[in-house]
Amino acid sequence: MTAPTNTGPFSTANGAVGIELEHVSKVYPGQAQPAVDSFSMTIEPGELVMLVGPSGCGKTTTMKMINRIIEPSSGSIRIDGNDVLSLDPNQLRRHIGYVIQQIGLFPHLTIEDNIATVPRLLGWSKKKTADRVEELLTTVQLDPGTFARRYPRQLSGGQQQRVGVARALAADPPVMLMDEPFGATDPITREKLQAEFLRLQADIGKTIIFVTHDFEEAIKLGDRIAVLGERSRIEQFDTPANILSAPANDYVASFIGQGASLKRLALIPVSEARLAPVATQPSAAQVDIEDNLRDALDLLVLTGGPSIDVSEGGRVVGSIDHAAISAALRATSGAGRVG
Amino acid sequence: MTGFDWHNLIVFLGRRYDDIFELVGEHLLVVLMSVGIALVLGTGIGLLVWNKPITRSVAISTAAVMLTIPSLALLALLSPVLGLGWGPTIVALVFYSLLPIIRNTVVGLREVPLPILESARGVGMGPIRVLFTMQLPIAWPIILAGVRIAVQLTVGIAAIAAYVAGPGLGQYIFKGLSSLGSKNALNYALTGTVSVIILALLLDAVFLLIARYTISRGLK
Amino acid sequence: MSVVESETVALQTVGRGPEKPTGRAWPRIRRFMPVIVVAAVLLATWLWVSSLQLDSIEQRTLNADYIVARIREHLVLTVVASVLVAVLAIPFGIAVSRSRSRMFTATVVGIANIGQATPAIGVVILLAIVWQTGFTTALVSLVAYSFLPVLRNTMAGLEQVDPNIVESARGMGMTPWQVLRRVELPLASPVILAGLRTALVFAVGVATVATFINAGGLGDMIINGLKLQRFPVLLVGAVLVAAIAVLIDWLAGLVEEWVRPRGM
Repeated sequence: MTAPTNTGPFSTANGAVGIELEHVSKVYPGQAQPAVDSFSMTIEPGELVMLVGPSGCGKTTTMKMINRIIEPSSGSIRIDGNDVLSLDPNQLRRHIGYVIQQIGLFPHLTIEDNIATVPRLLGWSKKKTADRVEELLTTVQLDPGTFARRYPRQLSGGQQQRVGVARALAADPPVMLMDEPFGATDPITREKLQAEFLRLQADIGKTIIFVTHDFEEAIKLGDRIAVLGERSRIEQFDTPANILSAPANDYVASFIGQGASLKRLALIPVSEARLAPVATQPSAAQVDIEDNLRDALDLLVLTGGPSIDVSEGGRVVGSIDHAAISAALRATSGAGRVG
Repeated sequence: MTGFDWHNLIVFLGRRYDDIFELVGEHLLVVLMSVGIALVLGTGIGLLVWNKPITRSVAISTAAVMLTIPSLALLALLSPVLGLGWGPTIVALVFYSLLPIIRNTVVGLREVPLPILESARGVGMGPIRVLFTMQLPIAWPIILAGVRIAVQLTVGIAAIAAYVAGPGLGQYIFKGLSSLGSKNALNYALTGTVSVIILALLLDAVFLLIARYTISRGLK
Repeated sequence: MSVVESETVALQTVGRGPEKPTGRAWPRIRRFMPVIVVAAVLLATWLWVSSLQLDSIEQRTLNADYIVARIREHLVLTVVASVLVAVLAIPFGIAVSRSRSRMFTATVVGIANIGQATPAIGVVILLAIVWQTGFTTALVSLVAYSFLPVLRNTMAGLEQVDPNIVESARGMGMTPWQVLRRVELPLASPVILAGLRTALVFAVGVATVATFINAGGLGDMIINGLKLQRFPVLLVGAVLVAAIAVLIDWLAGLVEEWVRPRGM
């Protein structure tokens, strides 16, 4: 990935910046209750924070106040220490990636022109822009040769979504705001997009606020999750593992639903468990050390045996049983998400 | 510029109000007759061509071209054949009304979503029944919009028809022209024009009411 | 003639698009159909007129000089009016659709509705009585009359732009002016151009009526033909005016297609 070249209002050494919201509220004229009530949160540089909550809880409104698409009624928002409210909104937004659910690709422009929008606003050279477009299309797994010259209506929903993400990344902004970006796709495409997104984030480590109403998605993607109630009240703000193991109240628990432990297992790789020595007889199934504990449990249940083998790079290195899995679960409780 | 004399206008209107009403009546009558004929013809053509791409585009293109022909030219061309007065006026007005009605009929019938047509056929309805119980009711708001446009068009064009001795308020407008310089010229022209405006607005309001009462609630 | 509602005009843009019958030669011919028909009609008319014995009155009218002069007057009126309308009505339409004041927008829409109901001939004659006859008056009434379709279509065109796209554009940091220029206007342009096309056709029609107030144009031939009962004169005038209207509409259609952003 090319090194971050843009500084804009946020200047940092390695490209990631923190966000601070302090008592941010939004009141619409004529309404008794605020849409967002005194929201405070600190987001670390490079963190992927999920805002989860039911429709109408104000999560999208909160996100949109960060880039001032919606102006806060009160409170302060700081990005990299700079007060957002004192900056020129247009300048501010050119350095924040913005992806909305309906994507909003410009239908009258080609894919490459769509992606090149912010670089052009910032005055990048033609060559730099063209290179960047090609790089991004490759990153989101769309062949530049095929797709650059096409128009949005010629792409499928999933492809358009990827272009939307590429467009938001174009000027390499340190902060990204994403509002249900994968919401309008079918479950299969969504899973693919989520996996690609995780890979991308592992590579580039931007500070991201991600709004979703899908709790599973939040657990899968987020470094930390904020479970929001009415008026964006923060019910719990913690890592997925901590929330799953210790929900703060019934409201949060209702999001988790049944099977919290199983969900937690999905977050822990087999490598975290203490493996027993290799069994004398090979078991009916094998799990890879990079897989997670839920896959291991799944196989254990399937085979019905006392344990299954664990392999690494094709070679069996140990075995694992129910007790080891439970032990690993208890050990990682409260330790934060690993891997 | 002639100065404007309100008192003069009121006296003028007072003396001629029955004349004016008669002209309004004529104007209304010629509009309704023409649009009525165009409605029958237009929906008929629309029903014939709506699902045949080539004939459909020919029909619509022809009607569209007809609409671009300036009304004075058409009226003048018709008068050697049809004489003066109601004849060429009605033919010309029908002519101009055809495009909005044909096009809206076609669009309206095509608006009906295919799944709905399929379910109707699926429960065993024949094509004619589907047409009358499904397609026309759904297409109706759009056809009505087309009729409304046709009425708006013809109210205006009927005014020009007065030049070939057509009926209606255009006569007053042209009288204003021919008596240019006299003290009543402005009164004639103004009365004629404003009456046409009021008539057009009233007819439009009537259409809104018709739409409200005849369009099924589910479609609004 | 009065204003055709913008929905129909919008329908006009939509309806003219994708349905092309099969076959490769047909779409090409179809595109030029209006020109072919006009050429055929003009040819037939010319042949018929040349075969006639013209009396002195007819000869004075049916000669190249007279006809060309009338055509020129007609076209000048049409084109100047349309350019003025474009320059005036489109920015005004943008301003109105941007306006926050409900009162202002409602007033404009109200006036537009009344304007739509006004007969063209009424406007022309009233203006002539109240002011003066002649070219300028005709020009003013043409502009006043064609103003409405362009205004309404500009407003309608901007309104139908998907708000999500606009939000996307603002979210990316475009200034409102940039959003207008790069996103909203291109996306509204099909509807706006359809309005300009309608305005042009209206202009040709009202220019025909301008003859009543001594503004010249081909209407002269029509009126003289009627008054003096000389059918050939009337026919030539009417055919020419219709031909011009159809051709201008056709040309405008070509421009519409040419300017329409790809990908839409």
